[in-house]
Amino acid sequence: MPITRRQFVKRSAGMVSLSLLMPKVLLTDAMAQSTNRRIFVVIQLGGGNDGLNTLIPYTDSAYHSKRPTLGFRDTELVDAQSKSMILNSQFGLHPALTQLKDMYDQNQVAIINGVGYPNPNLSHFTSMDIWHTANPASPTGTGWLGRYADEKLAGQSGLLAASIGTLPKSLYGDNVVVPSISSFQNYTYQTDSRFAGDRNNQINTFNANNNRVFDAGSFADSIAEMSVDAVAGAAQVQAAVASYTSTVTYPAAPNPLSAALKMAAQLITTLPQANLLYVQMGGFDNHSAQIQGTNKLAGAHFTLLRYFSEAVKAFYDDMAAHGLADKTLMMEWSEFGRRPNENASFGTDHGTTSQMMVIGDPVTKGIYGQQPSLTDLDQAGNMKFKVDFREVYATILNKWLGVDAQEILGGSFADVGFLG
Amino acid sequence: MAFTNEDAAHLLRRMGFGGNPDEISDLESRGKEGAVDYLLNHQNINNQPLDDLLTASFNFVDPRDGNRFNQGEIRRWWFTRMVHTRRQFEEKMTLFWHNHFATALSQVQDLYMYIQNLKFRQYGLSRFDDLLEAVSKDAAMLIWLNGLQNVAGSPNENFGRELQELFTMGILDPVTGQANYTEDDVKQVARAFTGWKFRNPRQGSDPYNAEWFIQANQHDNGSKTIYAGTPYQVSGNLGGEDVIGIICNRPQTGRFLTKKLFDFFVHPLSSSSQDKQTIDKFASVYTSSNHSIKELVRAIFTSDEFFSERARYGLVKQPVEYIVGAIRMLGADYRPGANVTGERNQTSNALAGFSRNMTQDIFNPPDVAGWDLNLGWTNTATMLERFNFANALVTNRNHTNPGVSITNDQLGEYTKSKSKKTVNKFLEVMNLFGVPKEVKTNLRNYLETDDQGVKVGYDKNDIDKKIRGLVHQILCLPESELN
Repeated sequence: MPITRRQFVKRSAGMVSLSLLMPKVLLTDAMAQSTNRRIFVVIQLGGGNDGLNTLIPYTDSAYHSKRPTLGFRDTELVDAQSKSMILNSQFGLHPALTQLKDMYDQNQVAIINGVGYPNPNLSHFTSMDIWHTANPASPTGTGWLGRYADEKLAGQSGLLAASIGTLPKSLYGDNVVVPSISSFQNYTYQTDSRFAGDRNNQINTFNANNNRVFDAGSFADSIAEMSVDAVAGAAQVQAAVASYTSTVTYPAAPNPLSAALKMAAQLITTLPQANLLYVQMGGFDNHSAQIQGTNKLAGAHFTLLRYFSEAVKAFYDDMAAHGLADKTLMMEWSEFGRRPNENASFGTDHGTTSQMMVIGDPVTKGIYGQQPSLTDLDQAGNMKFKVDFREVYATILNKWLGVDAQEILGGSFADVGFLG
Repeated sequence: MAFTNEDAAHLLRRMGFGGNPDEISDLESRGKEGAVDYLLNHQNINNQPLDDLLTASFNFVDPRDGNRFNQGEIRRWWFTRMVHTRRQFEEKMTLFWHNHFATALSQVQDLYMYIQNLKFRQYGLSRFDDLLEAVSKDAAMLIWLNGLQNVAGSPNENFGRELQELFTMGILDPVTGQANYTEDDVKQVARAFTGWKFRNPRQGSDPYNAEWFIQANQHDNGSKTIYAGTPYQVSGNLGGEDVIGIICNRPQTGRFLTKKLFDFFVHPLSSSSQDKQTIDKFASVYTSSNHSIKELVRAIFTSDEFFSERARYGLVKQPVEYIVGAIRMLGADYRPGANVTGERNQTSNALAGFSRNMTQDIFNPPDVAGWDLNLGWTNTATMLERFNFANALVTNRNHTNPGVSITNDQLGEYTKSKSKKTVNKFLEVMNLFGVPKEVKTNLRNYLETDDQGVKVGYDKNDIDKKIRGLVHQILCLPESELN
């Protein structure tokens, strides 16, 4: 059923101005509703994260025979402060994930092992599309969160969802347009920075010209209305973000995930309807120099996992400081894992299954799924998946986001069990 | 009726991206038919400055050289062409076909996207049959719509379906409302195209020649019947070329193409009986001209419909039109920078980036149906992107680095001694005819107001602040979003 363009505009999840311009009493109501908030933050690790060196099967002899240089022995599963990273008799976390180990011990982390999908595709792009669309057979069209937004968020006003950085296909919807915000500095009506004193004149002129009366239903009418909303809405986002305060210090640059999660926190804590956020960090395609020389406690993968761990911890603490820890769920994913056999350049090639983490107070901690065999591999020498990623999606859609996962995913998937 | 300056500006914005006052005056002097003829026969226009710029800015000798030939580079290449070409209609028609036969970098390698783009240029105004055949045999299309997987015994219907639904006739005849084909026709047509392949360009030979061929053992040589029970029924051992000819001969193809051309170049067509008559009128040109795209578009661009009130500012500018149009109308600069052997490797892909943020990622439409035009372009985030592009354009004073910029001298050319004249001149430069007095007053007030909000009068020498601001405000008018 095609919707009209006018409806399309009205349904845009990017329409930020309406609720923000609501009278104070309504805003208070909205704030009150916020006690029922269900905040969901997706963290995409781009490039294919090495799941085997994230959740490490340190007691599996096949792991050590395939990872003579890259593999961690039980004695090596300690962080810089000599804290043990071992989770149980089978698994330990990479030593860079020290904050996540603490969070795991605090019942805040669920790890799903052996995640993948049938007929794995080793192309970054195609595999990402498969995860974004949740449609391995035909990975085009809308994204799984876009379909969720179409069903649950369309028609509501306010900044309901946002991607920090570019817009991922996960958020492509038919009826909603999710804004992507690369920086708050740019998400504003820009005027000549050389003449800041002239900015008010520009904005006044802009508003006078766009607040005119146009023929009802004309392109100009829609555009003018949207333009005023865009500029006013951006100003409100700016004001909201400016009102953000936090007791938490986020890890400094160059941790890109820290910067993105801080932006997400700025929106979440100041806009009561901003509940669906998406952040990304790339760089996991470590075909070579995954470790630095032969030092496993340095190099590309160590650094990226440290960024991840530190950023997630800061974001969690920030949510907690704003009373939102029990209302916030994070989900980490990557388009595939790496091949069990390390290669000759201290790196790993494209693989299939990996682990996913779902993080936050709402989860029941544990290691879910199953470690795929490291000896019974597919033709390419990759692991055979144990949990379909759509089971993780379905669990979150049903148990956290409050929609019928079957409608969103076009099929029935088992509940993984990490939520209640 | 006289062909006015405003008519010429309208024509150039639609057949191209717009031009500065001199270009528009030149076009006006040619008269309506002459102007359309001039733009249509673009091969006759000397384009040496563009050719020189491309040579100085790009090195596409070896498409396997990923540093010099990649997704970003082909985007930069096309934007450079659109901004700097004198053959505006070549670029605009290529954009039309890119949207019509929408193929995307999301699934297709940059090399094949580039080859396809060259084909749109080569066949863009030929017989539609020839263009359709070239596109159907094109490597990008064979990849994009699974032609390579379309084999005898197990046909892939993707191309067979879109060929009819999106490229030629549409599901329903836009005039009669009748279904143009059945699901069985999709299957039969798919069979005709089985075994279509291309050879990868070989090292040493032309690296851009992805040669089409039929893999005999994958081609279905059985008898196919298409459009059974209709006046268009044909049976026999049909191949893909036969099917293309049959479809191009159907009057529905002329109607569908007319509708697509109107939606893109003139104004959106409704299902009113008047609009159906319009479709039939131009579809008859398609038929009588033996499917000449050139004659069809000539008829459209010289028509009363094209110059009607309804057509004026009757489309929302595509992001590419907004970006390239603003640069061309203002006479601003876009320096693509150089990425050639021996030169400093410093380039600007800023225009493609702005366009992508406005949701028109060139070479990468969202799906095979192409971009959603008009209000499909607009939401609060993309409007901000448009305004912020405008601000970047008018506030970038750096004239030597790669990127987009404009100097005070360039702006001074249109700055008059009185605020009223200055406002009128810039509105004219930006092709905004008939803007209401209220807007002109607002813009004059802007020019005459100081930082304290006090009306102190106009200073024609304050180009760096107020004229730049004025142009930004003009580009932020709803009228500036319309084409």
